[in-house]
Amino acid sequence: MNYNVYPEIKPGKKFFKRIYISIMMWVVGRGIQAAARVDKVVKAEFLKLGDDFSFSLGVVPDGPFMIVGTNKKGKVKYMGWNPEGKQISLKLCIKNIEAAFLVFSFQESTAIAFAHNRFIVDGDLPASLSIVKVLDRVEIYLLPKFFASMAVKRYPKWSELPPLRKYIGRVLIYLRVFTIG
Amino acid sequence: MFRPKYYEFCARVKIISGHRALEKIPEILAKLNAKKPLIITDKGVSKAGLIKVVTGAMKGNKSEVKVGFIADNVPPDSSVKIVNELAQVYRKKGCDSIVVVGGGSPMDTAKGVNILVSLGGDDLLNYKGTGAITKKLNPMIAIPTTSGTGSEVTLVAVITDMDRSIKLLFVSYFLLPDVAILDSRMTETLPKFITAATGMDAITHACEAYTCLAKNPLSDSTAFFAIQLISQHLLNVVKNPGDINGRLALSNGAILAGMSFSNSMVGLVHNLGHAIGAVCHVPHGSCMSILLPYGLEYNLHKTSPLTAEMLLPLAGAKVYADTPKKERAEKAIKYIRQMNDDLYVATGGRHARCLNEILDKDNKQMVPRDTLSAIAEVSTLDGAKIYNPEEVTYDDALMVLEYAWEGKPLELSKVKKGGKNYLRQ
Repeated sequence: MNYNVYPEIKPGKKFFKRIYISIMMWVVGRGIQAAARVDKVVKAEFLKLGDDFSFSLGVVPDGPFMIVGTNKKGKVKYMGWNPEGKQISLKLCIKNIEAAFLVFSFQESTAIAFAHNRFIVDGDLPASLSIVKVLDRVEIYLLPKFFASMAVKRYPKWSELPPLRKYIGRVLIYLRVFTIG
Repeated sequence: MFRPKYYEFCARVKIISGHRALEKIPEILAKLNAKKPLIITDKGVSKAGLIKVVTGAMKGNKSEVKVGFIADNVPPDSSVKIVNELAQVYRKKGCDSIVVVGGGSPMDTAKGVNILVSLGGDDLLNYKGTGAITKKLNPMIAIPTTSGTGSEVTLVAVITDMDRSIKLLFVSYFLLPDVAILDSRMTETLPKFITAATGMDAITHACEAYTCLAKNPLSDSTAFFAIQLISQHLLNVVKNPGDINGRLALSNGAILAGMSFSNSMVGLVHNLGHAIGAVCHVPHGSCMSILLPYGLEYNLHKTSPLTAEMLLPLAGAKVYADTPKKERAEKAIKYIRQMNDDLYVATGGRHARCLNEILDKDNKQMVPRDTLSAIAEVSTLDGAKIYNPEEVTYDDALMVLEYAWEGKPLELSKVKKGGKNYLRQ
C-alpha cells in the first residue's frame, strides 16, 4: 500500500479553541509560578517533588503545551510552551483539543477528566496527584468561586483558606502573572 | 439512573467458568500460538497442590504444552524486584506465554512481568504511568484461586516500590489477560477467613464501582449482580467450604466486580487500603472489609441515592421494599457491617471488623495506632483518591482511619462537604 497516496489524517485545526487553550495555559502556567511564591500549599507540593522536577501539560499530538519546573536555584518557573529539548519528569497529556476545552472552560473538573479517561500520564502517578492538587489550588486563586467550584471537588472553607488570604493571594498572583512572574 | 455524558467500558477478556474448566488450557494456548508458559504463583497456592491440578489439566491427549518454569516465589505484596527477577527467568527459559495461578499478588506480578518480557527492558519502573504501555503484550491466562481481586479482568496492576514504600499503579487495557478461567477446584480449599476477606474485597470493588466518579450504566449492571451474587453466597460458603456451587458463584461475583471497577475505578476505600497495605503489610481483603462502610459513609452526602440502591442486591427485595426510601442508604451500610460481624463469628474471630483487630501470625497488632498518620500521609500519593466523589485530604484520611481503627461508625457531621456533585446531574 502506498501511504503517500493516503496521507495521514490530521485532526481539525479548531483555531479559536486552540487560541483559547493556549492563553489559558499561559495564564495557568505563570499562575503556578506565582502561586509557588505566594501560597504555602503550592510551595510545599513542589518541595515534595524535588529539585529537578518539571512537568508538561498539553494536548497531544500538536499542543498547545505548558511546561513548569524547578530551576537550578530551586525556584518554580514557567518554562514556556515548547517541550522539545527539555528534560520533563512528568507529562500530562490531554487526548484531544475538545477534551482540553472541556477542562479549561471548567465544564469538566480535573477529577472528572481523569474519570473520563481524557488524560495520558507519562511518569510518576503520585507526582501527577501533586500536580492536580497544585492546579486545583491555582484555579481557586485565579477564578471566582462560582467557576472554581465547578473545577474542584471541594472549594476550601474559610477555616482552610481565610478570605483575606485568598483575596490578597489572588491580587499578588495576578500581578505576578502579568508582570514579573 | 446516573447516565454520564461520556464513558468508556472495555471487558474483552474471554471468561471460561465451570467445575472442570481448566481442561481447556491446552486448546486456549494453542489458539494463542503458545506452547511454553511460565507459571507464576505463590508458595501458598503451590503447597495447596493447586499447581498440580493446573499442570495436570495441561497434559491432555493431544496437548503440545510444555511448562517452561514454575515460579512460586511471589511474595504476599507484589514488588518491582520480583517482577524484574521473573522477567529474567522468562527469558532464560525461553517461555512464550504466562499462566498465572493465584490471588492479587501473583496476578499483578504476572502483569508486570508481561510488560517487561513483551516490551523489553529490565526495570518495570520505566513503564509507570497510564500511557507507557502502547502495544499488545504476550499471551496470558489468568486462573484466580481467590474470589476477590478480580485482577483477572482488570486493566490495573498494583506493584509495590519497596524503596519508597508506596504502591505503584500500572494502568493499560493491554494488561488485560487474554483468558480468565474460573474453576471451582481452585477456590475449594481456600481457608474460611481468606474466603471471607477476599469475598468482602470483591463486594468492595462492586460498591465502589457503583458510587465512584467513573461509574457508567455498564459498570453499574456488572456491579449490581456482583453484589447480589456475593451477598447471597459469601456467608454460606464460609460456613460450608465444600459448597462448590457457592464457590463458583463467588468467583463469578468477583469477576463481575472486577469488570465493574476496572471500568469505573475505585475511591476512598482502596485509597486508604492501599496505604495501609504499603505501610503495615496488611492483607488487602482485610483492609477492604473494614473500610467499606467508612468509605460509603464518608461519601454519603454525595452518593446517598446510589448507596440506597445497593440495598436491593445486598439484602434482597423484601428488605428493600420494607425499608423507607430515606433509610435505605444507611440500612445498606448497616447491612455491610452486619456481614462483617457474621463473618467474624463464622471464622472464629479471624475476620477483623476494625483496624485494631487485625493480627499477624504471632497475634501481634498489625496496624498500631501510631502508624495512622504515616498511613494518611501515604494515602495522599495513591491514585484511587482522584475517583472518589468527595475530596480526600490528609486530615480527612486520618479522621476516617481513626474511626476505622476503633470500629466506631463515622460521625457524618465531621465530614467536610463541598463542591458540585457530579453524581447528581
